[in-house]
Amino acid sequence: MYKIELKNISKVFENKRVLKGINLIVNEGEMLSLLGPSGCGKTTTLKIIAGLFSPDCGDILFNGKSIVNIPVEKRGAVIVFQDYLLFPHMTVEENIAFGLKMAKIKKPKRRVKVREMIDLVKLDGCEKKYPSELSGGQKQRVAIARALAIEPKVLLLDEPFSNLDTRLRESMRIFVCDIQKKLGITTILVTHDKEEALLTSHRVAVILDGEIKQIGTPAEVYEKPSSPLVADFFGEKNYLEGEIIKGFFVCKMGKFKTGFDKYPRVMAMIRPEEIELTDSEEGSGFWGRILSKQYAGDKIYYKLSANDIQLKCMANSKNMFEANQRVWLKIDFEKTIFFKAEKS
Amino acid sequence: MLKKFKPYVMLAPVMFIILGIFTMGLALGFFQSLGYFPAVGLKEFTLRYYKEVLTDIGFLDSLKFTLYTSFVSSTLALIIGVLLAYSIFQSKSRKGVLYTIYKLPVIVPHSIAALLVFNVLTQSGILARVLFYLGIISEQTQFPSLIFDQNGIGIIISYLWKGIPFIAMTVYTVLSNINDKLTDAALNLGANRRQVFWKILLPLLMPSILSSYIIIFAFSFGAFEIPYLLGPTSPKLLPVKAYIEYINPDLSHRPYSMVINMVLASYSLILVWFYSKTFKLFSKFDEIS
Ligand SMILES: Nc1ncnc2c1ncn2[C@@H]1O[C@H](COP(=O)(O)OP(=O)(O)OP(=O)(O)O)[C@@H](O)[C@H]1O
Ligand SMILES: [Mg+2]
Repeated sequence: MYKIELKNISKVFENKRVLKGINLIVNEGEMLSLLGPSGCGKTTTLKIIAGLFSPDCGDILFNGKSIVNIPVEKRGAVIVFQDYLLFPHMTVEENIAFGLKMAKIKKPKRRVKVREMIDLVKLDGCEKKYPSELSGGQKQRVAIARALAIEPKVLLLDEPFSNLDTRLRESMRIFVCDIQKKLGITTILVTHDKEEALLTSHRVAVILDGEIKQIGTPAEVYEKPSSPLVADFFGEKNYLEGEIIKGFFVCKMGKFKTGFDKYPRVMAMIRPEEIELTDSEEGSGFWGRILSKQYAGDKIYYKLSANDIQLKCMANSKNMFEANQRVWLKIDFEKTIFFKAEKS
Repeated sequence: MLKKFKPYVMLAPVMFIILGIFTMGLALGFFQSLGYFPAVGLKEFTLRYYKEVLTDIGFLDSLKFTLYTSFVSSTLALIIGVLLAYSIFQSKSRKGVLYTIYKLPVIVPHSIAALLVFNVLTQSGILARVLFYLGIISEQTQFPSLIFDQNGIGIIISYLWKGIPFIAMTVYTVLSNINDKLTDAALNLGANRRQVFWKILLPLLMPSILSSYIIIFAFSFGAFEIPYLLGPTSPKLLPVKAYIEYINPDLSHRPYSMVINMVLASYSLILVWFYSKTFKLFSKFDEIS
């Protein structure tokens, strides 16, 4: 299996800089997710790794060797496309055997491999069917089998689960993770679903606007985002501007102990779920007023106002508060993440 | 139930005219080919005319010659047309210009095409003159006779002039509708450009290639004006032969003409049958995506 290194990869399409110097290392046998919003250049990155696009500048290394000049058909980095792209005129079997046939593998050997793949992705009985006769989940499994059949050194999954319904997505996710673990293929999973990225991979690379903003384990990127941009990508946040003075965060709401004393000008990031609402003063926090409430079954979303600042809060539905009610916002500032304030 | 019939009922007047005229014409021709032509006093059904025509050396030569010209012209048009479509598809720039240029012959009528070919290829034509002027041939009569010739070169060339763009246009349209990403997927799985063409693009183009092949084949088999204008005196192509029998002032010759027409018609029917078969054959993977 290969270790993949991207060095300063850039790509411009029609005067639009889609990738702005991507640097990324994927270790041998690792499953890394490339997480980012639609249009940020995820598919482009995969196509550049696979050789379907060539980068405008930068280098790609597999196991330390540059492969930018190796044509796509010889690279051994296979993409499972977002829309599967099964060959409509071939049966499931023929689709899976396609790569082997192109590599001029002899028929008996091909047959064994196809059988093995069909067992692996559990498609018994579908061998002779055409893609138009398959369900979404089956098509997806054919696409995976077709990619795995040629024993790629690098597997590139481009939002492989986005066309599936929630339940199927979950089972396919587990299924793909299992296969990846079993075969130990170096894998990049592209997704815009943060939960998918956090659930499946060893490490997550957050790509925004053509740049990789942060790479780390799922817990690292979620809990210690490197910037408000990354943090916001994992869900809406509240920000309070203030200063850190001698271990205290001083802002419009008051003065709170932090156990932290770098950066004079800071932004405190408070997740909606980190605000606890009570009707009496309790621990560190401040008073606010409920502006609106949205009921979502197990959760309730509140909009609050405190000192003319709007805040979002997500609470469980044990205690319900009504609009206009005065509530105490209990926040543990010792666990809060502070970013250096941006000059505005 | 009523809904199901509604379109048929509404179409009935038009269908009556189209099918009515068509079937009446066909039926009349069929009766005349069987020797039933009361207008000139022929009132008996007989297979005599079929027997005579089908065993006539002249007819068989014509049949062979017709099959030969339409087969050669259609097949060449097919191969060249597909390659042309593919190379236009591959060429990144000037697609628009190329597209317009090769579409041109499709709209020009066959008779004009025949005229053009005539002007260029006769021994006194443009090509012969140019070659003479360049000193490649010393006399215009040295130029091979390509028109009215026994090999049907002139006919074949005019059919090619019309057929190649037709095939190319059909194939190009389908080709540009095939998802480009399928090519990407194939390359990504290790196929080279040639394999992509043979294993992905060609099979996906097959239904349209076959059907346009059948169309030009049927057309060149039954067309009249080009062989009439450019064909040799003998053997004549079947449609010309039918026409000559038809305009014979001796009306008792009419059944011969109709027998030839019946042969042409049944041939067309066979092709129509093939045509519908091709579509069935490929219906399994008709979604080109
Ligand atoms: N072949 C191309 N020609 C021109 N522009 C392109 C091409 N491919 C992609 N782009 C542009 O590059 C940008 C990034 O596209 P890309 O497909 O990489 O996004 P993505 O992150 O995969 O998005 P999504 O999540 O929607 O699939 C988009 O703005 C897109 O319009
Ligand atoms: Mg994409």
